[in-house]
Amino acid sequence: MLYVVLFFLIFSLYLYVVLGGADYGAGIVELFSSEENQKITKKTIYRVMGPVWEANHIWIIILIVILWIAFPVYYNILVVNLHIPLTIILLGVTLRGVAFVFRHYDAVIDNSQKLYDAMFKISSLITPIFLGMVFGGLISGEIKLIEDVSTLTFYEAFVRPWCNVFSILVGLFFAALCAFLSSVLLIGESEPGKENIYIRKATIATLVVFIMGLITFVYGYANASTFVNGFIKDPYAIVAMLISGLLLIPLWITIKKGRRVLSRLFAGLQVFLILLAAFISHFPNIIITNTHSVSLLDDIAPDSVINVLGVSLIIGGAVILPGLFHLLKSFKMIKILEQNKNPSL
Amino acid sequence: MENLDAARLQMAFTLIFHIVFACIGMVMPFFMVVSHYKWLKTKDQLYLTLTKAWQKGVAIFFVTGAVSGTALSFELGLLWPEFMKHAGPIIGMPFSLEGAAFFVEAIALGFYLYGWNKLPEKFHWFTGVIIGLSGVASGILVVAANGWMNSPSGFDYIDGQFLNIDPLKAMLNPAWFTQALHMTLAAFTATGFAVAGIHAYQVFKGRRVQLHTKAFKIAITFGAIAAILQPISGDISAKDIAERQPVKLAAMEAHYNTEKGAPLYIGGIVNAETQEVKYKLAIPGMLSFLAFGDFDAEVQGLNDFPEDERPNVPIVHYAFQTMVGIGGILMLAGLLYFISLKKKKWLTKNKYWLFFVILAPLGFIALEAGWIVTEVGRQPWIIHKIMRTKDAVTPMPGIVFSFYTYVVVYITLSIAVTWLMMRQIKVLNAKND
Repeated sequence: MLYVVLFFLIFSLYLYVVLGGADYGAGIVELFSSEENQKITKKTIYRVMGPVWEANHIWIIILIVILWIAFPVYYNILVVNLHIPLTIILLGVTLRGVAFVFRHYDAVIDNSQKLYDAMFKISSLITPIFLGMVFGGLISGEIKLIEDVSTLTFYEAFVRPWCNVFSILVGLFFAALCAFLSSVLLIGESEPGKENIYIRKATIATLVVFIMGLITFVYGYANASTFVNGFIKDPYAIVAMLISGLLLIPLWITIKKGRRVLSRLFAGLQVFLILLAAFISHFPNIIITNTHSVSLLDDIAPDSVINVLGVSLIIGGAVILPGLFHLLKSFKMIKILEQNKNPSL
Repeated sequence: MENLDAARLQMAFTLIFHIVFACIGMVMPFFMVVSHYKWLKTKDQLYLTLTKAWQKGVAIFFVTGAVSGTALSFELGLLWPEFMKHAGPIIGMPFSLEGAAFFVEAIALGFYLYGWNKLPEKFHWFTGVIIGLSGVASGILVVAANGWMNSPSGFDYIDGQFLNIDPLKAMLNPAWFTQALHMTLAAFTATGFAVAGIHAYQVFKGRRVQLHTKAFKIAITFGAIAAILQPISGDISAKDIAERQPVKLAAMEAHYNTEKGAPLYIGGIVNAETQEVKYKLAIPGMLSFLAFGDFDAEVQGLNDFPEDERPNVPIVHYAFQTMVGIGGILMLAGLLYFISLKKKKWLTKNKYWLFFVILAPLGFIALEAGWIVTEVGRQPWIIHKIMRTKDAVTPMPGIVFSFYTYVVVYITLSIAVTWLMMRQIKVLNAKND
C-alpha cells in the first residue's frame, strides 16, 4: 500500500505542476503581453481555464493531505522551516483565485477590472516563484534541523532555508516552466490567427527555462550543492534531462503542424522527465539539510494508516479521475462544436 | 502578543471567515437547484433569472470558501506543527475523503457553470445537485475531524506515544455525529435566513417583488425547517457533552459548584474571580434535566476540575447564551413563516418583510457563537486530555505579523465580496425580463 500512497503523492505533485503550473503560467503570459494581447489572452484564459481551474488547484490540497497523513515527520520539517514562503503562497493563491472570479463574475464592468487584472497577473507570477523557492529550499542544504530552534537566529532558522540564491534560482526556473506550459496550451486554444502570440511566448519561455536551469546548475555546482552533485553523477537523471531537451524537436514540429493535443503531451512529458530526473537522483532523500539528507520514508505513519489512506486514494481516484477527464474532454469537444457552428469565432 | 495567543487568534480569525464562506457555498447550491427545478417544470422565466443570479453567488462563495479552506489546510500545520505531526496520521482519513468530496464538487461546479445549453438538461441540473451533496459531505467530514479533537479515539496513548492507530475509529469518534448534525442544520439555518433576509429587503424596498418573493420562499423554507429541527439536535449535543466533556458543559452554564438538581441559568454576567453569576434567570433543576434527563441528577461544577484544565468561562458562557437565544428566535420565526403560508395577507405587509430583514444576520452570529463554545470550551486542550494547545504551537516566533496580514487580507476580501454581491443584486434589479 505504501507504493499506492507514493504513487498518488507523486501523481498529484506532477498534476499540480502541470495543470496548476499551466494555470499560473496563463497569468504570467498575460502579464508579459502587450495591452492588446492582454485582452485577447484574458478572454482565452477564461474560456480555457474557467471550467477547470478550481480542480487544477485541488491537487495541492491532496498533496498536502497525503504528506501530513503518511509522512508526518517530513511534513513537520516543511511547515516549520518553510513557514514564511508557504504563507506567501497561500496569500498568493487566495488573491489569485479571488481576482480570477471577480474579473469574470463582477456584474458591472468598470475600472475595478484593472485592479482585478493586476491582482491576478502579479499573484500569478509571485506564487509559482515562491512554490519553486519551497522546492529549492528543500534541496538547498540550508535547512537546519536541531532540537531547539531558539538557539538559532530567526534568519538562520526561518529565512535562509528558502531565501538563498539557489532557492531563488529554482523559483525563477519554476515560474518560467509554468509560462512554458501555459504558452503551449494557449497555442492550441487561441483564436484563429492569434497563434503567433503564444508561439512567440513559448519560444521565449523555453529559452528562459533553459537559461535558468543552466544558471541553477552552474551555481549549484560551483557552490558544491549536494543536490546538483548527486544529480550530475546519476546517469538516469542525465538521460532523463537529455530526453526532455530533445523532446523540444517533436514539440516544435507538432506545434507547427497544429497538432495541439500531441504538442501538449510532449510538453507534459518534458516536465515529467524534469521532475523524474530531480526525483530519481535523490529519492527518497528529498530534504537535504546542512548536515544530512532526510528520507521521505523515515518515520512514516504506521501500516494501519497507510493502508486506509491507500484504499481511500484508490476509491477517491476512481471517482474523481473519470469525472475530471470527462470535464476536460467535454468542454474541449463543446468548443470544437461551437467553432464548427460559427466559423467566424 | 505571545506567539501562542497570536496563533490562536489567527486560527480563530481565519476559521470565523471560512465558516461563513463555506456554509454559504455549501447551502446555496440547494437553493439554486430548487429554483432550477422550478424553471424546468414551470418554464417561468423568473426562476431562470433567479437560478442564474444564485449561480453567480455560488461561484463566488465557492471560490472564497475554497481558497480560505486551502489556507486552513496549510495553517493547521503552519501554526500547530506538533499537533499535526501526531494527529495528522490519525485524523487523516476524514481529510483525505474531504479532499475527494471537494474535488467532486469542483468538477460538478465546472459542469454546472459552463454547461448551460451545452449539456443535456437533466444531467446539467443533476450536476447542481452533486455540488450541494458533495459540499455537505465535505462539511460533515471536516466536522468529524474536529469531533476527534473533542473526543479523541482510535489509538492508544502510551508513554506519550500514539500507538495502535485505527483511522476509521478515529473518524467515527463519539462526537462526530452530534457535531455534524448540529453544524449541518446550523449551516442551513444561517444561510437560509441570511439569503431570505437579503431578498426580503428587496421586497421591502419594492424592487422586483415577484422575483424576490420567489427567492425568499425557497431560501426561508430551508432555513425554517432547519431552525425548527435544531433544538432537537441541540438537546442531543448537550447530553453528549455532559457525558464526554463535563467541564465544557459547566463552562457553558457558568456552573461552578457540583450539585444535584442544578438550575439552568439564562443570561447573567459572570464574575470569574468571585465565581458569581449576576442578573441571571435561574430555572431550578433544569440543567440536570437537560444534561441527564433527570431533574435531580448531579451536574459536575467547574471547581471539580483542576484550575489549569478549565476554559475561559465568561467567553464560553456568553457565546452559549447567544447561540441558544438566537436559536430560539429563529425557530419561532420558522414557525411564523409556515403560518404565513396560510395567512397570505401578511405577505403584503411591510412589517413582515422588515422582520425577516432584521433576522438576516442572526443565524450566522449564532453559528459563530456555537463554534466559540466548542473551540474555546475545549481549551486548554488541542486534543482533549492528551495534548495542550500551548505544546502544539509552532516554534517560529513573530506569528503576530502573519496574524495582522490575515486580518487585513480577509477583511478586505469580505468587503470586496459584499460589494460584489451588492452589485449583482443591483444589476439583477435593473434587468427587466
